[in-house]
Amino acid sequence: MNDDELKQLFARQDTAHDDSARDKALKAAMAAFDEAQAEGKAEQEKTYSATQGSATMSRLIPDHQPVGRKAMNTITADSPVKRWTFSALASAAVLVLGVFITLQMPWQAGMEPAGQTPPYRETRDDALPSSPKVALEERAVQAEQELGSVASESHIVVLDADASASAQAASAAPPPQVARTERKLQAAPAAAAARVEADGFAVPALAARIDPMPPRGYQETGRDRFEAVEANPVKRVSEAPVSTFSIDVDTAAYSFVRRQLNQGVLPQKAAVRVEEMINYFPYDYPAPHSSDQPFDTHVTLMDAPWKPGNKLVHIGIQGYEIQGEQPRSNLVFLLDVSGSMNSPDKLPLVKQSMGLLLSRLQPEDTVSIVVYAGAAGTVLEPTPAKEKQKILDALNRLQAGGSTAGAAGIQLAYQLAESQLVKDGVNRIILATDGDFNVGINNREELKGFVERKRESGVFLSVLGFGQGNYHDALMQTLAQNGNGVAAYIDTLGEAQKVLVHEATSALFPIAKDVKIQVEFNPATVSEYRLLGYETRLLKEEDFNNDAVDAGDIGAGHSVTAIYEITPVGSDSGVFAPSRYRATEADSSKSGEYGFLKLRYKLPDEDESRLITQPIEVNARQSEGLVREARFATAVAGFAELLRGGKYSGDWTWADALGLAQANRGDDPYGYRAELVQLIRKAEVAKAM
Amino acid sequence: MAETFTDKRTGSQQETIKRAQRGDREAFSRLLEDHYALMYRFAFKYCGQRADAEDVTQQACVKLARVLPQFRFQSAFSTWLYRLVINCALDWHRKQTATGDPELADSAVEGNAEPAVMLRQVLTRVQAMGEGYCETLVLVHGEGLTHAEAAAVLELKESTVSWRLHEIRKRLQREQQPGVEV
Repeated sequence: MNDDELKQLFARQDTAHDDSARDKALKAAMAAFDEAQAEGKAEQEKTYSATQGSATMSRLIPDHQPVGRKAMNTITADSPVKRWTFSALASAAVLVLGVFITLQMPWQAGMEPAGQTPPYRETRDDALPSSPKVALEERAVQAEQELGSVASESHIVVLDADASASAQAASAAPPPQVARTERKLQAAPAAAAARVEADGFAVPALAARIDPMPPRGYQETGRDRFEAVEANPVKRVSEAPVSTFSIDVDTAAYSFVRRQLNQGVLPQKAAVRVEEMINYFPYDYPAPHSSDQPFDTHVTLMDAPWKPGNKLVHIGIQGYEIQGEQPRSNLVFLLDVSGSMNSPDKLPLVKQSMGLLLSRLQPEDTVSIVVYAGAAGTVLEPTPAKEKQKILDALNRLQAGGSTAGAAGIQLAYQLAESQLVKDGVNRIILATDGDFNVGINNREELKGFVERKRESGVFLSVLGFGQGNYHDALMQTLAQNGNGVAAYIDTLGEAQKVLVHEATSALFPIAKDVKIQVEFNPATVSEYRLLGYETRLLKEEDFNNDAVDAGDIGAGHSVTAIYEITPVGSDSGVFAPSRYRATEADSSKSGEYGFLKLRYKLPDEDESRLITQPIEVNARQSEGLVREARFATAVAGFAELLRGGKYSGDWTWADALGLAQANRGDDPYGYRAELVQLIRKAEVAKAM
Repeated sequence: MAETFTDKRTGSQQETIKRAQRGDREAFSRLLEDHYALMYRFAFKYCGQRADAEDVTQQACVKLARVLPQFRFQSAFSTWLYRLVINCALDWHRKQTATGDPELADSAVEGNAEPAVMLRQVLTRVQAMGEGYCETLVLVHGEGLTHAEAAAVLELKESTVSWRLHEIRKRLQREQQPGVEV
């Protein structure tokens, strides 16, 4: 379809408007105009500096109001009898709701061992109403009052009506509860409501007041927070020949995507990070032999399956696997036991995961446990791993409840880790949370500053994400990226097994830190390139040689893969039109290279970086194994691209991704790759729905 | 192509806008009457459907009433108005996809169905290419704006507009001929 046809298509449309629709729209707009003017005047009388109008959009209002609305509008109800009936009904409804919530509340929300009050409760108790139940009742009263004041002029009438209505409605609830609640209601303590206000619970929405502390096993939905990033654009080699980024061994994105797909929905685009999907899988790259140069780089070239003419450059990095004895480790488990963790896929899974990790520790390694909810506290002083039962007991006592003072927890954990610092060993905090910090520092920038200062001390940080519905990915990424850490997302016990048992060495023992990659493309052979993923990890060109700039870390045995899509000179598969004026000077002496790969890293206890270089040769000899691994990585990258909307994957389809992944599964001892094949099928189904 | 938004009576139009901004009811009403047809036409080309276009236009009119004071005469009124309609259309589209309305299912087609259906098919495909493509297509091919004018409306670089159009053309072409291996 060419331009003229497109124009014709538009021109052939009957775009004459309907007069009645026009009149309706004009009327609505005039009404909005009058309203805006009235508001504007009122606003201007108050203050001259305020801007007029507002950018929020009004809802469409039908010509005839629905009947139900009129029925509910008790002020305009024509007879007093009606008015009372309506308000009584509304109040009864609130009361019943209140009773239900009260009954479902866990009586105590803490993790204290029997007969002992942990320190954090003391610090918060004075600020809170004496028990969660009372707080709820107060809130119910307040909600009631609100409804009441809207619905009728007289409180007493409403409350009386209440009593009889609820007596009938509450047959399902134990009588003492109802009686208590009723007494509260009849007292109508305005003072109590005022105290609730003063305590900082004043939230405009009625629903928020009724549900300030979630009942047991609650599940939020639709509040997962991800930072949206634009996919890396295609770049001209003639304009930006150098590409620099930090490596990223996180795997969180893949597990989150898997979880969503297993539920039959496509993940939100921002949740899909290509590099984390690729790096989720272990790749069978030849391993280096000594810890002096802790990793080898492998470059593989192949044709881009989604765009004929383009090529893919795979850069595979294989980390050194620890031989012999494990270094001693000092681990601090920092566990979130706030109310939001109260869900089967959160705290119970955290406990199981930590139990798994214990099995991989040596007898002399120390473990301590710090928890945080409304405040932070130490639950287990540093204990050697050989006292396994003691650690497990401490874990099993934990219960979830209360708000989330995440920052205080992090501070305490760093303190504890530093106090036990093991020279020549591994000092690591393992944070398990859903990322919802709401007490103390909850500003991401501030937290970032804090962990940035702390990483100097030699303590590493691993972030394990749990749960969904209220998962704050952005915060976890910030912590992991700036605190010398990795982020993983644990959705099932199987994933915990992968991260904490099979890959425990990579999760625990860093072999290199601040690993940066820089590729300079040869303008004589490459015209355009695009880096797949790593959007959140891009570095400035000059940062590559600056050792003060932080970058990603690699654990023992980790493999990392980065993929570039390049358009060789002379191929017409690029996205840029050829420049009419810019002459391309060909440097024939280097025409056998597509580019030059440079890699900088520091050994874990050093501050000066080392350099590895390797040319990317046009006709490099490639082993069969490497090609297979590269193909599989390509299948994952293509799948991720499709999940992100397919901007760069041309007309590649799910079936193509499936075929490519299927054909290059290799050994796959743990079945991770087979699982990807299933996921692609599920994505295809989810997409079709 | 039909007349562009650049009003020949720019002076008098400016006067009308200013009066409407100060709260002159009649001036605002005239402004609406002058521009309703254009807004509707644009909305129709974006949505490809009468009922939806009417909704979007009505929303845009209501929004105009609220945000007109924010117009600072830094660009042509038409440019600003296009942006407003696009924003309303985007909101509408977001809601549409959120509620999961099957797009072509309610084919309550009116008299001249065929071009409308064709248009809707093209729009759906362009929509699938990514964000921003549809607006670009409608502004340039539907409304006859130059690339520079469209770029001003979308607050983009001119080259981006050109590139998007190129991409749209290329991909539509590819999808048209399924027999050809690409």
